[in-house]
Amino acid sequence: MSTTFNRERKVAGWILSAPLLILLAGLLVWPIYLGFQTSITHDVLSEFETYPVGFENYRSLLSEPNFWSSIRFTLIFALTATIIELILGFALALLFDRYFPGKRILFSLMLVPIMIAPSLMAVMFRLILNENIGVIPGLLNKIGLSYSIFDQNNVFTSLIILDVIEFTAFTFLLSYSALQNMPQEIYEAAAIDGASKSQTLWRVTLPILKPALAIVFLLRILDSIRTFDSIYILTGGGPGTTTQTVGIYIYKTAFIYGDFGLAASAAIVLVLLLAPFMPSIIKQFNLGTGDSK
Amino acid sequence: MKKGWGTTLLVTCVVFVFLVPLLGAFYTSLRTDEAIASGPFVWEFDSNFEHYKNALGAAGYDFPSFFRNSVVISLGTVLLTILVSFPASYAIVRLGFGGPWLLRLALALRITPAIFFVIPFYKLFTAYQLIDRPLALILANTFINMTLALLVFSGAIKEMPIEIEEAAAVDGASIWMTLRRIVFPLLGPGMAAVGVLTFLFSWSDYLFAVVLTSSEATPVTVGAANFVTSYGVRWGDISAAVCLSVLPPLLFATAAQKFLVKGLSSGAVKG
Repeated sequence: MSTTFNRERKVAGWILSAPLLILLAGLLVWPIYLGFQTSITHDVLSEFETYPVGFENYRSLLSEPNFWSSIRFTLIFALTATIIELILGFALALLFDRYFPGKRILFSLMLVPIMIAPSLMAVMFRLILNENIGVIPGLLNKIGLSYSIFDQNNVFTSLIILDVIEFTAFTFLLSYSALQNMPQEIYEAAAIDGASKSQTLWRVTLPILKPALAIVFLLRILDSIRTFDSIYILTGGGPGTTTQTVGIYIYKTAFIYGDFGLAASAAIVLVLLLAPFMPSIIKQFNLGTGDSK
Repeated sequence: MKKGWGTTLLVTCVVFVFLVPLLGAFYTSLRTDEAIASGPFVWEFDSNFEHYKNALGAAGYDFPSFFRNSVVISLGTVLLTILVSFPASYAIVRLGFGGPWLLRLALALRITPAIFFVIPFYKLFTAYQLIDRPLALILANTFINMTLALLVFSGAIKEMPIEIEEAAAVDGASIWMTLRRIVFPLLGPGMAAVGVLTFLFSWSDYLFAVVLTSSEATPVTVGAANFVTSYGVRWGDISAAVCLSVLPPLLFATAAQKFLVKGLSSGAVKG
């Protein structure tokens, strides 16, 4: 009886997982092989013939200044944006953690940017920043300032603002959920002990929420490392290659300059650069499970 | 001042700043071309909604077909994602299938940048002649969203009291019957969370769309971005097209806000 039951469970497990396994085989295992194979092939769109070149693509990639500068830009961009978004999102979550009139509707409005595709947000951003018809340059003109997106001094700030507008809602939402899970008794105990509001925040709330906020930070920074759409639409990686993220570098190398081999090797190097962090990140997530229970 | 109004004022200002791009696009979409051309603060509105009519086909843009493609791709992705992730999550959590490694793999995939898959997917879908077909984008988006769906579903299944399933097994119900009659109905909220998130993310996809489509299967995200370059000066029509593109996910996600919040926080925090 029990053995047939166990066998039934085993068979059922395979049947239920079959669609997932097929998808993983077709869209994970096979593409990883294809990606690796492309990376060791001379595969340039303008040349009809492709042939194996060993690790030649990797060698040229490692001596390619554009690749390394794109990695540096990506890291600086991701870190700046994530830190601002985390602080702003958490501060907003603290504001929302108590009653105020109109809280429900403002909460819904806070979440609106999450629902807007980053690429569409970037198109809107281009519209309001347009030198001739945009509202923002118009306002700046009124107070005697001139503005252009492509001005070297403005471009980084503009990209950060766009990212903050798009994604603060996300850090806000996760910080807010974490705050909601805080047991009220802790606040009461802190109040009885005579802790001031700022003492409670720094000595009680923040230490307890540290693991949850660490996960929000990780999620956000990993997502901003892959930023592509918004920057590509807003600046195309320019002026020059100054705002080129790794994503834009890989995309352009393959689909604009047609060098698939080089782009594939860049994609693999990117994942290899992230790989050492993966085990600790996975552990961090599991830690979050333990804490939230 | 009554209690809390200061916070209301502060939060309203912040929300307003966050909504400036959307409000700016909406404002432009309602103005006449002459007003747009003569500067941002000329208050002259178009009572005929000419820009919306143009975007919806009057001016011969492909926008209506972009819109149709987005709907097909997003709904298709939602269906396929649920179909793939729901049974597998049950097998992983309750039948111990694959041990912990399947969920760890899902987490590792969530960390891997999508750009990694762009070139292999392009090669793969070219080989199978799926380029510029909605199916290619449905498959690519399902692959990307599947990890979040697995995490949300397995979290929801773990939270279900196992006693109900055990009682059903004692009463002689097969795994299939338990799944259909008990687990599936109880998982409604998880299903809604996966549905709304997957819809949102696949509607928002730009990277795969720009690589895997050229004209026939182009969704609104790529369509709208191309609009900017190909009809450079027609800002009114572009604004109307963007406002229309934002509408479906906005309505859907606002209606299902509770599930959106639940899905985002559980998929993010729980492993």
